[in-house]
Amino acid sequence: MTDAPRDGRNRGDRVYAPDFLTELFRNPLDPGYADAAARRREDPQSGSAWRRWPARSVTLVVVLVLGFLFAVAYRQTMEDEPGRSQVRSGLVEQIKQRESETDRLSERAEQLRAEVARQRAAALGSSEAARLRSLEAGTGLGRVRGDGVVVRLADAPKDEDAVIRADVGPSQVLYSDLQGVANDLWAAGAEAIAVNGQRLTAMSTIRQAGQAILVDYRPVTGPYEVSAIGPEEMRDRYDRSRSALTMRTVAEETGLSFGIREAEDLTLPAAPDPRLRYAEPSVSPSPSPSGADRSVSPGPSRSGTSPSPSGGG
Amino acid sequence: MIAVLALVAGVALGLWYDPEVPAALQPYLPIAVVAALDAVFGGVRAKLDRIFDDKQFVVSFISNVLVAGLIVYLGDQLGVGGQLSTGVVVVLGVRIFGNVAAIRRHLFRA
Repeated sequence: MTDAPRDGRNRGDRVYAPDFLTELFRNPLDPGYADAAARRREDPQSGSAWRRWPARSVTLVVVLVLGFLFAVAYRQTMEDEPGRSQVRSGLVEQIKQRESETDRLSERAEQLRAEVARQRAAALGSSEAARLRSLEAGTGLGRVRGDGVVVRLADAPKDEDAVIRADVGPSQVLYSDLQGVANDLWAAGAEAIAVNGQRLTAMSTIRQAGQAILVDYRPVTGPYEVSAIGPEEMRDRYDRSRSALTMRTVAEETGLSFGIREAEDLTLPAAPDPRLRYAEPSVSPSPSPSGADRSVSPGPSRSGTSPSPSGGG
Repeated sequence: MIAVLALVAGVALGLWYDPEVPAALQPYLPIAVVAALDAVFGGVRAKLDRIFDDKQFVVSFISNVLVAGLIVYLGDQLGVGGQLSTGVVVVLGVRIFGNVAAIRRHLFRA
């Protein structure tokens, strides 16, 4: 039963309650049904048999269409689903492929760089070669080995996320945590630092992109290990640093794990060669000759000059 | 009873025939289904209330589907398609809920 049966007489001046939503909640049935019923009660001839049969068949057709619509919508949704997941897995595949390609290429670059270094050492005098090597080690362009410290950060286990406490912040490692650790390790006297095997140089970036942390535009995933090679007292100095104190507090409060340990004989890989940037005059004094110059010079002169900064130190 | 058979026949027809929905109409399919569900539950409830009316059912079905589609289309043109379809789904959802509750009261007296 509708809770407010309407009779046919006030059908014309039916007004919606001022609060449309309240009306909607109270009386969800289309008022037309009540109206039609009232009309029929008033005037029983209007629903006589000769008129009812076509209406009934139209209703059946509509119900048929309804079923058809449901089936089509179901089909459509089911069809879309594999397509979507297929596209997704295809993208994942592509990413994996490109990553492995990048790895392969950087491995090759590594080999070639070692080859270049060997040739250069053979060509240069031994004192100059040694100086070059130490410079490369310092700038992050050469592989280094030594004793040092490993700082390990890891996200809190997932099930602890269920009780999120608003006052202590997220229980994940943030990019700023890694930045803080790296900066304080430099301050503690580190000579070389790598995050999950990504060597940091003076131009490295640690950034966040969505959920992922990028070190030099390459994603790194937890647990994060920041390895640093440096003097013996580095560990104690880092222990007292600001980021160590902060991270220890954060670890206590959120369940994220943070640890410092000394490590012997660490090997840190070389950073990829930096992309050299060239300053260009903002306004060329005489447009036509410099423009002609530039159009000729870039290819050969750049590749020719690029070794010179590292060679000259 | 015949209505249920017709519904089943429609479903079977749709599954068997498997028509290709034109791409332009695809965004409106879900909203049309919700509108159709509203008409169906309204009709079932009216049947149980003994005030079912064929004309009312047919008109409410067609107008529901068309209006819902039109609102979403209009929203798409204005750049608020998502929000408007949410609004349509909320209103129709409330009605479906109310009618299903009434049907439940009819069937289980609870």
